[in-house]
Amino acid sequence: MTDPPSDPTRQGDTDDDTDGTPRWVYAFGILIAVLVLGFVALHLMGGGFPAHDLP
Amino acid sequence: MTRGVRRFALTAHVLASVGWFGAVAVFLGLAVAGLTSPDAQLVRAAYLAMEVTGWAVIVPLAVASLLTGLISSLGTAWGLVRHWWVVAKLLITVPSTILLLVHMPPISFVASVAAATTLSSADHAQLRIQFVAQAAAALLVLLMATTLSVYKPRGRTRWGRRQRDQQRALSRPP
Repeated sequence: MTDPPSDPTRQGDTDDDTDGTPRWVYAFGILIAVLVLGFVALHLMGGGFPAHDLP
Repeated sequence: MTRGVRRFALTAHVLASVGWFGAVAVFLGLAVAGLTSPDAQLVRAAYLAMEVTGWAVIVPLAVASLLTGLISSLGTAWGLVRHWWVVAKLLITVPSTILLLVHMPPISFVASVAAATTLSSADHAQLRIQFVAQAAAALLVLLMATTLSVYKPRGRTRWGRRQRDQQRALSRPP
């Protein structure tokens, strides 16, 4: 396996020509959505946002 | 940007980002110690150290990582919104930095309580559990950002494809 180029222009962009959104972007989006939902759930179940616990 | 400036910005970005990850790992260790330790002195020390680590190390490194990342992307052919992996990193770094700034005051609050009194395991337990969960989540997203930087998964955004097509049309012989 070759290393990805440190600069996209070095390799002439030949391997980056696929149109459309790659699958990993959807996977990333789902992971971020899960994290955001988890974050919101943590705050809701934990008695609200941290500011509620402040004096 | 010249090659030297580009490399300097990249070096600063790598240092800030990896430093941010390391500092959050320390923060997580302190948050777990503060939550679980039966030793009152250790609990107090942990929350005081968390406040100092947060304000003096994590916040500056997060801001530095964001700024050097912006400079590195805008100053090179990668661009800010041309490649999905750069966009993904931006979507990780900007909210993480904002959330960090939002969650620092509660840490300062618990540190001030720990400095003034002896914290029992029930005192502000929900907040202290949140510190652990948030630090663990932060480590996860920073790990994702580091992985994206190293692997640079392929894929251009619509904007990136349009720019590429325009460049190709210009460079094509008539």
